[in-house]
Amino acid sequence: MLGKLLKYEIPALGRRLVPLFIGWCATAVLLGLAVGPAQSKSEFMVVITGLLYGAMATAVLVMSVILIIQRYSNSLLGDEAYFNQVLPVTVSEHIASKGISALIWVLLSGVAMLVTGLLIAVFSGVLFGVDIPWAAIFRQIASTTAGEWLALLEFIILSAFSITKSILAIYAAITIGHQAQKHTTMASIGAYIGLMVFETTIGRILVGLFPHLLSNIESVMDLNGFFGGGIFVTAALGALYFFICKYFMENRLNLN
Amino acid sequence: MARIEINNLTKEFGTLTALDSVALELEKGQIVGLLGPNGSGKTTLIKILNGLLTPTAGNVLINGMEPGVETKRVVAYLPDRNALPDYMNTQQLIDLYQDFFTDFNRTKAEDMVLDLGIDMKQQMKRMSKGTKEKLQLCLVMAREADVYLLDEPIGGVDPATRDYILRTIISNYNEDAVVIISTHLISDIESVLDDVIFLKEGKVVLHRNAEDIREETGESVDQLFREVFRC
Repeated sequence: MLGKLLKYEIPALGRRLVPLFIGWCATAVLLGLAVGPAQSKSEFMVVITGLLYGAMATAVLVMSVILIIQRYSNSLLGDEAYFNQVLPVTVSEHIASKGISALIWVLLSGVAMLVTGLLIAVFSGVLFGVDIPWAAIFRQIASTTAGEWLALLEFIILSAFSITKSILAIYAAITIGHQAQKHTTMASIGAYIGLMVFETTIGRILVGLFPHLLSNIESVMDLNGFFGGGIFVTAALGALYFFICKYFMENRLNLN
Repeated sequence: MARIEINNLTKEFGTLTALDSVALELEKGQIVGLLGPNGSGKTTLIKILNGLLTPTAGNVLINGMEPGVETKRVVAYLPDRNALPDYMNTQQLIDLYQDFFTDFNRTKAEDMVLDLGIDMKQQMKRMSKGTKEKLQLCLVMAREADVYLLDEPIGGVDPATRDYILRTIISNYNEDAVVIISTHLISDIESVLDDVIFLKEGKVVLHRNAEDIREETGESVDQLFREVFRC
């Protein structure tokens, strides 16, 4: 059933975010043309298109967060929950579908940012005449050690886990906040602050217990250990937030 | 085993008791009217049967199971509000139901949609309130479920559509199913009811066969309702 949920969940976020991505790319093209090699370059146009680009980047960032919150809240605890919560689907599948879909769209927002950067570079012409040292790049890749590849892989996993953990923390706060009979938004914000205080406390305790992990990163092996520890802690926090959502939805659901 | 078993069910919202020690057993093969004024606990009871609310005390069993994934496979629910994604059109909503409910009869749904003149390509958000309600009912009644829970199914539609909906309910449920219709528009649905349950301030004040009520009291269910709930 998770696949079926994702079939509807991913496009549900995409129908709002894709137009924003397209708009963002369009402003990147305009900015690229404005700062480009044209003889009649206008400072005014550079400022205007720069502002447009910045506004779109902000809109994508803000809307991504708002939509991720809204999708979870409305689908599982709002009006659409009267349909979604009566589907023959487990609570874990519901939460996983929301989390996976949100992660995919956050990553695609990152891809969109890279694309806009590339569009600015292409349309401004800064890439013309640049000699990319492909041979040196390939030599560098060939000489990369197994430990360095592992560190890169760990970094990628840690980044994905961190995003997922952050999304689940928001979901957990919304689910806890929904237990309040009134002022659920304020209760959710309060719950989120509480979870962040908890996270910070856990971080401080861990730093206190393993001070050498942060202060003595001198070799690739140290880096492997640091990233590995980070993955473990992030995964544990993510699992905790997931189970908070699951517990309240399975045992304390009250749609009013 | 009763299709639906409700055991000493109580639901409290803070200091308000929405349901107070409700106990009921409902067998298959009947249409049951869950009747009561606003705030009597009808919607609360239906939500608990769907697992949308957690009881304060007591429990409910559907086919011997507490609400969960297994009961959701066999319960078709029409909520008292539009719960479907409003950016989808009729066709997409039919696909959605087909994807999630193995008991969904696509041909039946398409026939009902056609009968009611609902546009297959129209988005839900562009439909009138009545059309939205009709479409939701078509989708729910196109399931071949064991239990149908219909919360105010005729509240927002015109009298002609009301007749169609009631005919749809009668002709689409099977002998093995139980249909619970929650409403306060009793005269409109009285003719289709086998059993009636009166809920007053969260308590069951009457659970009888509709025909027996008419024979023994010489009154219609609607008249009896007005007597019991006189303000």
